[in-house]
Amino acid sequence: MTEHALDTVTGPETLAQMQHTLDAAWSAGDVPEYTRKCLDLAVSEIGSNIIEHSGDGQPVRLRMVVTLLPDTVVVTLTDDGRPAAVDLSQMGMPDEMSERGRGLAIAHRVLDELSYSRNQEGNRWTLMRRRVNEPHGHS
Amino acid sequence: MGNFATHKSGPDVTVIQPTGQLNMVGASTLRKQLQEIVDNGGNRIVVDLSTTEFIDSSGLGALISGLKMARQAGGDLRITATPPQVCTVLELTNLNRVLPTYDSADTAFDD
Repeated sequence: MTEHALDTVTGPETLAQMQHTLDAAWSAGDVPEYTRKCLDLAVSEIGSNIIEHSGDGQPVRLRMVVTLLPDTVVVTLTDDGRPAAVDLSQMGMPDEMSERGRGLAIAHRVLDELSYSRNQEGNRWTLMRRRVNEPHGHS
Repeated sequence: MGNFATHKSGPDVTVIQPTGQLNMVGASTLRKQLQEIVDNGGNRIVVDLSTTEFIDSSGLGALISGLKMARQAGGDLRITATPPQVCTVLELTNLNRVLPTYDSADTAFDD
């Protein structure tokens, strides 16, 4: 098991920092390209959601941990912002001319598991994808 | 961040070339520039994606925003040189139907 972590306060550089953390994990492991691309995309989507909504316009403390396991890659994102108003059972794509509302649906499509929980310390997102190098079954 | 490069192709087509990551940060720049193009009377816009390394839902939102603005102004927005990562995300969201890829900026409005 290998871990790569980022501790930051959200701001204009956060998405780039998150991608650098993923790049460090990818350079250290032998994760197939398709799996890496799916996680790059899902982390950008969930990261954007946290940056935009979690602090209601204000910065939040964000911790990201990328864990490379033998069969899966797991990314956890924890922040100390307000509760996320999400319903992970409603993951459809919006109308095609909609300018918003695709982020969680995209993340859900490219991951094998996406979960959200809330405790007294804040929000916790868990993103998991198997390492197999093939498009996702329901994509 | 700075603005993306733009140029004219023929008398009435404006080409914009977003570079790097079309995430929340890049999408905000693209959206603003597309608005400026339309505000300045341009309604035929080509987004040349040849140097776009990555797109997510924020980038898609900027493209849809530009598409709607261009159509409201009587024109259209078309994309060219779409790299594999962008194609994948367009297919995933079924937006390849409203944003088909054209071969080149010079011929995107030939129809």
